[in-house]
Amino acid sequence: MSTVNTMSIEQPARPVEANPSHGSAPRPLARVTAAASEHKVASGQAIGGSLMSGPSTNGSWISAWWVGLVLPVAIGILWELAVAGGYANGRLVPPPTKIFEVLSELAASGELWRHIAVTSWRVAAGFLLGTLAATLIGALAGYSTLTRQLLDPSLQGLRAVPSIAWVPLFILWLGIFEASKVTLIAVGVFFPIYLGVLGAILAVDRKIVEVGRMFRLSSIDLVRRVLLPAILPAYVLALRGGLGLGWMFVVAAEFMGASEGLGYLLVDGQQVGKPAQIVAAILVFAVLGKLSDSLLARVTAPFLRWQDTQTNAN
Amino acid sequence: MSLTSHVSTLVKVGSLAFVALAAAASAAAAQVKDIRIDWATYNPVSLVLKEQGLLEKEFAADGVKITWVQSAGSNKALEFLNAGAIEFGSTAGAAALIGRINGNPIKSVYVYSRPEWTALVTRADTAITKVADLKGKRVAATRGTDPHIFLVRALQGVGLTEKDITLVLLQHADGKAALLRGDVDAWAGLDPIMASAEVEDKAVLIYRNKDANTWGVLNVREEFAVKNPDTVKRVLKAYEAARTWSLANPDKVKGYLVAVTKLPDAVIAKQLGERTELTHSAIGADQSASILAAGLALQQAGVIKPDVDVKKTVGDLIDSSFLVATK
Repeated sequence: MSTVNTMSIEQPARPVEANPSHGSAPRPLARVTAAASEHKVASGQAIGGSLMSGPSTNGSWISAWWVGLVLPVAIGILWELAVAGGYANGRLVPPPTKIFEVLSELAASGELWRHIAVTSWRVAAGFLLGTLAATLIGALAGYSTLTRQLLDPSLQGLRAVPSIAWVPLFILWLGIFEASKVTLIAVGVFFPIYLGVLGAILAVDRKIVEVGRMFRLSSIDLVRRVLLPAILPAYVLALRGGLGLGWMFVVAAEFMGASEGLGYLLVDGQQVGKPAQIVAAILVFAVLGKLSDSLLARVTAPFLRWQDTQTNAN
Repeated sequence: MSLTSHVSTLVKVGSLAFVALAAAASAAAAQVKDIRIDWATYNPVSLVLKEQGLLEKEFAADGVKITWVQSAGSNKALEFLNAGAIEFGSTAGAAALIGRINGNPIKSVYVYSRPEWTALVTRADTAITKVADLKGKRVAATRGTDPHIFLVRALQGVGLTEKDITLVLLQHADGKAALLRGDVDAWAGLDPIMASAEVEDKAVLIYRNKDANTWGVLNVREEFAVKNPDTVKRVLKAYEAARTWSLANPDKVKGYLVAVTKLPDAVIAKQLGERTELTHSAIGADQSASILAAGLALQQAGVIKPDVDVKKTVGDLIDSSFLVATK
């Protein structure tokens, strides 16, 4: 496979026939098609690469992972010293030792794990539902112009509604327990993913589609071997954006009548006046959000291996 | 320049900033320009005080601005006090104690009412008729308020704890809505919202205990009280005027409350007529005893940690020195 040109002229039908014979067929063609639209991939890599730095495989992160800890740890130590030295009383902004004390108490009683499990379950369920709906509708709207003209204006209108505005309505319709919480998270997750899918489909380079057509790919193969790989980088980014919003909305969801979950810890800390517990819950949110994002990036990494990017070079 | 000298410069700058902040904070408090005070539907006297502009009149000559903030429950008043967002806040006595135990530097200086404002409430269509029936049920309450404390003590009375029920944290008004919608089976209510559930929605009170209601007390931030004792005394004087006026004009008090809550006359009549005594004002032994009893019960139930000296905290909380006898 020297160049796109010679290939398409000399043996146009070959890849289609060869396709059923080996499973990893999409990869070589994707590389060719991607090369045909260098600028597209380059810009996609720029965004993806910077966000992907955590689980990337280029090796340098191993020696430098702790650099990110310097700032928070330094601030924590300074604050601890300020409180210990009497410069600040630490009543409203509790020092780190106090926060860890609260965390370890919660962990020892087993409460912390129960709250984490409940909240994670809610995020996972909302994320799954939101992703399914968004992917389906986004793909439909991207694929067919009629569907897009029919759906997109309404969805863009709904997107402008702050999701918190749904809370009173969801409480009336669905009550204050799991159904309304999961729905709220799903709504939050839906829009960035819908936009991501739609945008990615509309942004697929005409040239690579034409290359696929020249290879006489059937429409299924065109989707599988050209469109899907082209969409995946933007889709993965949209998924990660959606997951981030899922974590944001779970707090709003758990504010409406919490009996368990990290939101309960927050509300409890607020109602009883325990700032250390509030900060502890926020810290757990930060850790869980980061962990789940890294996990998602890691799980989706194999789907992006076709990209001819710097991080995939080695 | 070595790294250590950079660090020491940083530490110096940091400590200077802290000192400067602390100095600014104390300078601001030295002269009272603003008094921020709460009003609440569970504190009818505060409404009279606000509607009649008594505080504004008292402080008009000094150019002090009065800012009114609504509290939706003791927990909210305590939250505002803790943040230094208000100087005076209305809470239940035992709620103030929990706030103080959790490090909220407040003093309870005045009694605005002796209410029976909380009880355990359910819908007419549930099979719940007594406290023991709550086992395994969902119960809505606002933590850090008298209704929550009342609930814990009621459960304790039948050998149950919070762990035997599913506690759903909701602000008082949301708790009523959740009960009526069927999201929860019971609710630790608060007047006048509770009276409204009873009169308008036929909710049923399954457990009442007037003595486990821990008085309506007015709290002041300790720092403010230490620096401005005379201001506190003048605020309490205005409160007294509002309270004695309320005793003489119960119908007008009812009118104020009806106007602000948009609840029917019958609801407010139930709250004020049957369940609120405005004949007390001095804070002292009765309140101490009631709050201490609540505190000890909560400690036994595990809501207050075992290492807390409840008795001493009650002593630190209550300060009767600001109410100057006016009669």
